[in-house]
Amino acid sequence: MREKLRHIKDKLFTLSANVSVILLVLALIVVLGPMLAKGFTAVVFEGTSEFRRLQLEEHSRGSKEEVLAEINQGQKERRKLHQMIEDFNVGIDTSEMYDSARDVYRKYSRNLRSLDLPYDEYSGKRRKAREVRDLFLDAIESEDSEKVNSFLEKVFAEQDNKDFQGTAFEKIFTLAERFQQTSKKIDFSKRDQYKEDLVRIKELIKELFGPAPGAEKPALIMEQYGATRWDMAQKVIDEIIHKTKWVEQEGTAALAKKKVDRRKTFEGTEFEAFFDVLPGKAKEILKPKTTFYWQYFIDDSTPGHYFGGVGPEIIGTLTLTLLAMAMSIPLGITAAAYLVECAGENIVVKIIRGFINTLAGVPSIVFGLFGMAFFVMYLLPLFGKQPQACILTASMTLAVLVLPVIIRASEEAIRAVPRTYKEASLALGAGNFSTFIFVTMPAAMPGILTGIILSLSRAAGETAPILFTGAVALGPIPDSIFSPTRTLSYGSYDIAVGDRLAMQVPHKQYGMVATLILLVLILNIIAICIRSRMSAKLKGQK
Amino acid sequence: MNVQNNKKNKNEFDLPLLLTPGQDIAGYAGRHIGRAVLFSITAFSVVAVLLILFFVMKQAWPFIVSGKWTEFLSSDQWYPQAEDAEFGALAIVTGSFYVTLIAMLIASPIGLLSAVFLSDIAPFRLRQIVKPVIEILAAIPSVAYGFFAVLVLAPWLQDHFGFSTGTNALNAGIILAVMALPTIISVAEDALSSIGRDIREASYGLGATRAETMMKVVLPAAHSGIIAAFILGVMRAVGETMVVWMASGNANQFPSPWWDVSASVRTMTATIAGEMGETPEGSEHRFALFALGVLLLIFTMLLNLLSEIFTSSFKRTMGGKR
Repeated sequence: MREKLRHIKDKLFTLSANVSVILLVLALIVVLGPMLAKGFTAVVFEGTSEFRRLQLEEHSRGSKEEVLAEINQGQKERRKLHQMIEDFNVGIDTSEMYDSARDVYRKYSRNLRSLDLPYDEYSGKRRKAREVRDLFLDAIESEDSEKVNSFLEKVFAEQDNKDFQGTAFEKIFTLAERFQQTSKKIDFSKRDQYKEDLVRIKELIKELFGPAPGAEKPALIMEQYGATRWDMAQKVIDEIIHKTKWVEQEGTAALAKKKVDRRKTFEGTEFEAFFDVLPGKAKEILKPKTTFYWQYFIDDSTPGHYFGGVGPEIIGTLTLTLLAMAMSIPLGITAAAYLVECAGENIVVKIIRGFINTLAGVPSIVFGLFGMAFFVMYLLPLFGKQPQACILTASMTLAVLVLPVIIRASEEAIRAVPRTYKEASLALGAGNFSTFIFVTMPAAMPGILTGIILSLSRAAGETAPILFTGAVALGPIPDSIFSPTRTLSYGSYDIAVGDRLAMQVPHKQYGMVATLILLVLILNIIAICIRSRMSAKLKGQK
Repeated sequence: MNVQNNKKNKNEFDLPLLLTPGQDIAGYAGRHIGRAVLFSITAFSVVAVLLILFFVMKQAWPFIVSGKWTEFLSSDQWYPQAEDAEFGALAIVTGSFYVTLIAMLIASPIGLLSAVFLSDIAPFRLRQIVKPVIEILAAIPSVAYGFFAVLVLAPWLQDHFGFSTGTNALNAGIILAVMALPTIISVAEDALSSIGRDIREASYGLGATRAETMMKVVLPAAHSGIIAAFILGVMRAVGETMVVWMASGNANQFPSPWWDVSASVRTMTATIAGEMGETPEGSEHRFALFALGVLLLIFTMLLNLLSEIFTSSFKRTMGGKR
């Protein structure tokens, strides 16, 4: 019995160890999976004709004739949709009809006056005309369809009146006919609701296809184009077809989102057909095609990352990290060489090692504070520069941050070089210095390189140290190292929480962070490969 | 060195291996100057640490001498922008340790068990697969973890657990745990595998199972190394900025009741990161934030010292055994 219990305990122990490693691998997949997968859609997606127009107009990419032909064809289809809305709108938004009815009446009475009729006849005709006009106005303003019909009937009863025939007033009957036709199926009590929905639909159509044909060009670039991606377009289409309502939930105070079919509002009207044709027409107009937008990695982004790519961010990150490495690599390797080759294990070296460990343990935000207090506010004014956070100060901060990483990695690599190498070189008569440069260094190079690449990836990913020392979320591309820059890391932060515009374009959010992760991952994989080749080599020699 | 001087001479080995006094002095001087230069470059790290201490302290100094220490450490009223500015950082300091505690509660068992798996259970091949996984987990930038916390984990927590907000202490704690795991695992695994085969074999030889060997022999032997691993994990979690800034909700409060992990909290690092941008130079607010930085620096240095003590004691016991 006891024996069994012991075995069960043992099995449990092994199992829990296995489970924890599986959890670890799962964590990696769960963290990286969604971000990389969604980030991928920033580069490969179904681009619409609006996207191709954007590329043509902003970057002059693509063939002009093809894009223009595509757009013209789309405009034709689009007009049909607009026509449908307009036709229905005649019965709903009557202000236009109201105005034209009054116009007709005014014109008619002016004509009457110029005819020089006797006063009685003149005023009689005028009164009659006003009656008819008021009946018509009552008809188009009424909310009860029975009343509308009775009003309209009264209007049409006057159609045969000889007084009106051949005059300008005849036009009011055409208006009435048109109104009767469009309003046949409308539930007049729902008129306000129709109006509200139509306004929203018009807005969404604009969002979907861009400004209406022939409309003025909006000032904001994001309003100049419709949906540039088919997935975004589908979202808008869905919004047109379904209305979101916030409904109170039972038990909780939070409101829940609920989707309502917008078609229900328009049930029974001619406009109902609009919802059937919209998805098909949208596809015809936007013509989604699989697009590989590799320029994402070199393009600048237009306001707030709404369009465009992450080019300046990549350049900023690379500039910062490379500058930082240029400063810290010589320092780091020299320090490591001294620690291994020259210094024994005395108290001074122990203190230095303690300090290196301390430096490695300083929180990254404190590096940021230090960089701001020392590099920005102290060192720059010392050299007669404006105390402004800039590329130089940010990279200096990063250089201090990665220094201990480089020292440790290089130290380990130099220490791993077999003693025999060094002894052979010394025995051949080479000096200490040349032995180190020509024998130890080359042998330790893969290890040092691994350390350098790892610290490069660390520097590229750090955000907190550069928050106050040279990173900005939006801004021009820097022209010197004395101006701040955009970086992938700070951009990822800003696009996730700071940027309201970016909330509307999740693919850009994920694209930014996926680019950062990819950069870091590639660097790490290179480092891992170098190390495994190195260890294979060392094994071969044994 | 001596040989090189005589390159012109064909019969170089005929000559005695002697240097002229000039060469001797030059060589001596060169050697020592070179060493001095190398030493000063190496000492740069020391200078850097001292500079960090000095400049962070310098900025915090006006706040420290203004005598607001008691308020700073005892009150939770943090209203730096108010007319009567109050700088009570107690809730903020507590918040830092609260999320760290959550992170360690998740990370230490998983980390320790994973280290055990790597050192004692996994076959060589499997270890070659798991190790890069851990390295990649360590390499993912903290802002990417923060991004994940805000845009993926927070909505998920909100939907599945009915929290009123997804950015809370639990969210930050989970992510910090994932971030601290690689450190814990690699240091603990080092400690476990440096306990030699002989001790394990002796235990197995007495008929102990693997669980008994690990729990009663190897772990006790490696305890100081494992404690060092945990301390390093704590250090990583306390000093982390981006994740807590993005995921913890940044509400200056004590969770109530204290075990309510769905409460939003605020940490020292997030406070510094979030508020530094809006403080004018030379303002009391900025000095107070630097004082937070000093506090953070003190904490991490103490933890660092502690981990060094445990590491060296581990090394000593290992040295004694061999």
